[in-house]
Amino acid sequence: MRVVVDLNRCQAYAQCCYAAPESFELRGAEILVYDPAPTPEHRGRIERAVQACPVRAISVEFDDTIGTAS
Amino acid sequence: MSLSTLFDEIKDPKNRPDPYPLYARLAGHPVVRQEDGTYLVSSHAAIRALLFDPRISSADLPPAKSPPTGNPFKDWILQPIKDEIVSRHRPLIFRDPPDHDALRRIVMTQFTISRVNAMKARAEAHLGELLDKRCGAREICVVEDIAYPLPVTIICEMLGVPREDEPTFQGWATQLATALEPDARHDEETQGQTRATFDAISAYMKVLIKEKRRHPQDDMLSGLAAGTEAGAMGEFDLIATSILLLVAGHETTVNLIANGMLTLLRHPHELERLRQDAERAPRLVEEILRYEPPVHFRTRKALADIAIAGEVIPEGAPVVLLFAAANRDPARFAEPRRFDPDRPDNQHFSFGGSLHYCLGAPLARIEGEIALVTLARRLIDPRLVDDPPPYREGASLRGPKTLRLSVDRIA
Repeated sequence: MRVVVDLNRCQAYAQCCYAAPESFELRGAEILVYDPAPTPEHRGRIERAVQACPVRAISVEFDDTIGTAS
Repeated sequence: MSLSTLFDEIKDPKNRPDPYPLYARLAGHPVVRQEDGTYLVSSHAAIRALLFDPRISSADLPPAKSPPTGNPFKDWILQPIKDEIVSRHRPLIFRDPPDHDALRRIVMTQFTISRVNAMKARAEAHLGELLDKRCGAREICVVEDIAYPLPVTIICEMLGVPREDEPTFQGWATQLATALEPDARHDEETQGQTRATFDAISAYMKVLIKEKRRHPQDDMLSGLAAGTEAGAMGEFDLIATSILLLVAGHETTVNLIANGMLTLLRHPHELERLRQDAERAPRLVEEILRYEPPVHFRTRKALADIAIAGEVIPEGAPVVLLFAAANRDPARFAEPRRFDPDRPDNQHFSFGGSLHYCLGAPLARIEGEIALVTLARRLIDPRLVDDPPPYREGASLRGPKTLRLSVDRIA
């Protein structure tokens, strides 16, 4: 699984940090740090993070299906 | 009918079951002046621009004004002081930067990921109890039996309000939520009731906060009362904030759950898919938020003349951001009238946006997901008794008053 966050879009709403705290972390008020290659057991939580992002800044590629969320 | 009185139609309770055809008439008219000088903003692009525009203010409440009592000391000395205090300590939803940002930062230190995520197990357990209570029944009301009691328990737990006080809180939350409707601000009877409720809940909170200072526990109120690494709130802000969290955390989530179940029953195929695969829940919740938002619009005020979409909103004008219309803007969403949980780019405005983006969104999502998954699994062959169901009066906080389902049984 590959995760990319468009940091130009990201507005630090931090919704991904609630949905998948082990993969996304906000340092200070607005610097987002994330895991670009989470392990498969995080899939559900990553999907939540993608869905919860108010500016749709997170894209993810699953190894079985490419580009299910953009 | 002219577009210049459309907002009156939107507010008319007879249009509550289906306001969407009214919103559709605004297509191609992103900013429309109403006869009373209010500006109705409905396109995705225009709302987005205004949400991020510093010339738009959230401080749009009229100043507090207590009704005359006939006692000159009260009317001329005490009440004006009290009104002034109330006006200066609005909850952050009605504040602008820099006050808003400072208050929000303080609240965020307490709205922690671990606290929010701890509510998953709590919500699951509570839903279990609520459904067990109805075990054997052939009919269930989603609003009364599920959607109402769940969020009040969760928000009371987050804040640290004792369980035995929940029923009292439920009554207060309902009364204060009606005060959020635009017309209620000018209706004297509602205003009087709201003030009485506000006084009661303020007095309660004052005592509770004192108690939390003396015996701090692991909850939001204890944290806020003790002061945080982002600073401390004054007493009045503390009370205003706790009341806001209670009301906002409650009435909106009721609508999310009730609208969600209603939408699923109108799209039984999606209900069935959810029953078989709980992983569908996040997408479903987002699409329910877009398609039947718990909050249809919020109001703002223009601080300067703002040129937008070929119109000029003059300084001082009230502005209505019609989120529910933008959520179905054909320029932004393909086939906007179709309920499609698999839409790839579901950027709705149901939690608002920008500085005021709903602080409770992660909690609302958790409650919505868990409620819908649990209902899908445990209600066997649910059918709507009334379609459309009766609606509550609110045009902004819009949702069913009751949502009766007949069921084969409750598993």
